Amino acid sequence: MTSDRTLLGDRLLRSYVIFVIIVFYVPMLAVALASISRSRFFVFPIRRTSWKWYNDTFASLQIKEAALTSITIAFFVAILSVALALAGALAYARYDWKGKRVYQQLLLVPIFFPQSVLGLALQIWFSSIGVQMTWTATVFAHLVWIAPIVTLIIAIQAFGYDASIEEAAMDLGASRWQVFRDITLPLLGPGIFSGFLFAVLLSWGNFPLSYFTSGASVTIPEWLYGKMIGGYTPMVPAVGFLSVIAGAIVLIVGLTINNRLQRR
Amino acid sequence: MTDTAETLPETMADASDGANQLRQIPAGVWCAAPIGLLLLAGFLAPLIMVVLFSFMPRGTFSPFGVPTLENYVDIFTQKFYISFGWSLFLALISTAILMVVSYPLAVAIRRAAPRRALVLTILIVAPLFVAENIRLQGWVLFLDKAGVLDGSVKALTGFEIGSLVTNVPAIVFGIVYVYLPFMLFPMIMGLANVPPDVKEAASDLGASRWQMFRDIELPLAAPGLLIGGLLCFVISLGAFSEAKFLGKGVVVTIAQDIESAFTFGQNWPRGSALSALVIILAGAAVYLAMRRLDLEKMLGRAS
Amino acid sequence: MASKTILELKQVDKFFGDKAAVERISLEIVEGEFFTIVGPSGSGKTTLIRMLVGMDTPSRGDILLRGERINDVPANKRPTCMVFQSLALFPHMTVGENVAYPLKCRGIEPGARKARAEECLTLAHLPMEYYDRPVTQCSGGERQRVALARALAFDPDILFFDEPLSALDYKLKKLLEKELKDIQRETGKTFIYITHSLEEAMVMSDRIGVMNEGRMVQIGAPREIYRRPNSRFVSEFMGEVNVLPVTAKGGKLHCQSLGTSFEVPPGAQETDGVLIIRPEDMRFVNGEPPVNGVLSGEIFNEYLLGSRVQYQVRAGGTTLLVEKQRDSAAPDPAARITFAPENSMLFAE
Repeated sequence: MTSDRTLLGDRLLRSYVIFVIIVFYVPMLAVALASISRSRFFVFPIRRTSWKWYNDTFASLQIKEAALTSITIAFFVAILSVALALAGALAYARYDWKGKRVYQQLLLVPIFFPQSVLGLALQIWFSSIGVQMTWTATVFAHLVWIAPIVTLIIAIQAFGYDASIEEAAMDLGASRWQVFRDITLPLLGPGIFSGFLFAVLLSWGNFPLSYFTSGASVTIPEWLYGKMIGGYTPMVPAVGFLSVIAGAIVLIVGLTINNRLQRR
Repeated sequence: MTDTAETLPETMADASDGANQLRQIPAGVWCAAPIGLLLLAGFLAPLIMVVLFSFMPRGTFSPFGVPTLENYVDIFTQKFYISFGWSLFLALISTAILMVVSYPLAVAIRRAAPRRALVLTILIVAPLFVAENIRLQGWVLFLDKAGVLDGSVKALTGFEIGSLVTNVPAIVFGIVYVYLPFMLFPMIMGLANVPPDVKEAASDLGASRWQMFRDIELPLAAPGLLIGGLLCFVISLGAFSEAKFLGKGVVVTIAQDIESAFTFGQNWPRGSALSALVIILAGAAVYLAMRRLDLEKMLGRAS
Repeated sequence: MASKTILELKQVDKFFGDKAAVERISLEIVEGEFFTIVGPSGSGKTTLIRMLVGMDTPSRGDILLRGERINDVPANKRPTCMVFQSLALFPHMTVGENVAYPLKCRGIEPGARKARAEECLTLAHLPMEYYDRPVTQCSGGERQRVALARALAFDPDILFFDEPLSALDYKLKKLLEKELKDIQRETGKTFIYITHSLEEAMVMSDRIGVMNEGRMVQIGAPREIYRRPNSRFVSEFMGEVNVLPVTAKGGKLHCQSLGTSFEVPPGAQETDGVLIIRPEDMRFVNGEPPVNGVLSGEIFNEYLLGSRVQYQVRAGGTTLLVEKQRDSAAPDPAARITFAPENSMLFAE
């Protein structure tokens, strides 16, 4: 009898999980549908389909520029946040030092913070100290939020292996640099890669921090926001869906590489 | 043997040995320094600037005027507390719903075989990398009048649902949708602290399913629930796009008020005072929760 | 002593905050000996070995290697090496890469590196085909041998061991203990081993140092430690014992709870304290009249311990342990027990 109930429970749970996952992707589907509808205002069921909005998108210089800005920002954010986070994660997970507990907690605070408010605060701060707000300011703003996240990801990897491995290498005559190159770096490899991937994707998708700090530069999410506020055009779902696809490709390629790394 | 060492504490004795003072700084401090400086310059300093500005006279653009409380007075006399109240309400109710919605998901992912758990995890994380705007726009296209849902139902049954957006439940739905991963992952981490054999032992000792949940699973998973709840509460306090797109202006949240004070209003001190309230509220919530957490244990220190 | 001292500790202390983890330890290790430090967990033995290896520095006192002070020399600059409790194998390397790592650090060219690594694999009884195997695919015993081979490849002056065998099953542990002893004899190296298991220490060591609460309480050959422990702690740490509280009374030791008197052990000072007798030194007596030194009791439990049987005897409110050979005749349940005074130990309390 109990086993029947357990079985029923398991089935319910499974159906629930499937339901939630489907719900998760409903908006992507709606965006995809809207992007191929010919009419200027989306009406479902679609009467006529068309690639017009994609052609317009690819023809638009504005969008090309926004995409380039987004990619540049994501690239620099990923490189810089991995560099900061690698050191930060060692301090987080490896070394014992005075003030470590406080550091471990303070590092979480920027993650646990409303991003719109952080973006505005950065805007005031930049203009008060006279920093030009362009895409470089946005890189900095993204780092404030993303570097701590990447630090956590690498720290989890660092917690995952035994600290005595490094001591053993030391004991076998390795210098600090040799320990780092031969032991620490390879063992943290998968974490570093995941961190990089996360940084690229989070930066790519971020809106609030870019919105308040990028000045005249426009990222893809900002462009979308502008159009959504200023007047709907079916290029919004077209650009949106392309952005989803771009993110998905990065994610899939990244996961494949990560899978290889983990297996080694 | 050196006799001075007898009286000196260890660190002092070390320092007197080494000529180079820099070498006495622990490696951990060196490693924490770059990111520490980043957060000092990119997080703490801006927040301090916001607080400074909040005490400046209306409409000024310099943080060094004569301090005044007028912006805080304005919040109450000009009814800005209403948007603050809405944000608080939306954050609380969304967090509560998120807890209930995420728990079964977390349990399912914990129970699933590692490969399947990974696939589920990826499926749930992936939307995070799509800008919130696009996803919310997707919901509008799905839920609005003549959208995917309304259109399909009408085509199939002839019955018209009409628009499901432009109301408070739609905003709450949007927040729950956007922040679900932020609740789910801490929850999974929390559930990882519940060893399966403890649950088996409890059921062996005669605990019912409900008792097992209440007496074993919930208390052990509490740190994860706490951190997830906190995270969702704090970030949904800043909810902005959800109210804008799904609510289409039926309510104004504090983040929207802050934004318009800075942009249309060109009134930095007022925007700052509103931001300062959010900062204080978020800070208090984070501080209270952090004190109860053992991060090393949560992130899975090997020992 | 004729042989040369390789490692010397002079009044070594280690404080964590104001808590002493290791206190006033002085010790001389002789070149080529197998020295084991035994102690319960928390006795400070791991702290001590970390200082000897160079992963910690003493708060006070000196550590001398061949007469030279090495207190502040870091682990990677010392000619010594340790096998870790966790083994600390490099999980991203093959067996061969692990073993060759110390040679690589020293800048030895790959060909010579491989030859030497293979030598060490052989020494640690690992077949050559393991060379290219990922270390994560090795069994517990094999990993043990890889860790040993890696340490041997370093060619240390002293080889330290931090309880490396504690996670293995009994049979494998016994086998590796003997192999370790053989390797030590073969290479003539100084081994310093720490463990909480006295049995392990007894099998391998030339000398044993017993630690308790941060102090070295007794140093001696295994036999000496076993036969002549210098404190109640050491005697109890060596295994199960009978502890009888006694008061000195006119040249005899009176035990209140048993209502009997015992002889003072030969060579011991007459004092109030505890009299300690090992279970195997107790014996049953049959048919003799009750005299001083003979205890009457009731057997209420018996356990088979391999070739011996242990009896629990209730006598005058205390429980005594008595062991005898399994194949000898079963004792009378209403037992009478005695022991020779020279097999008892008296410690003041």
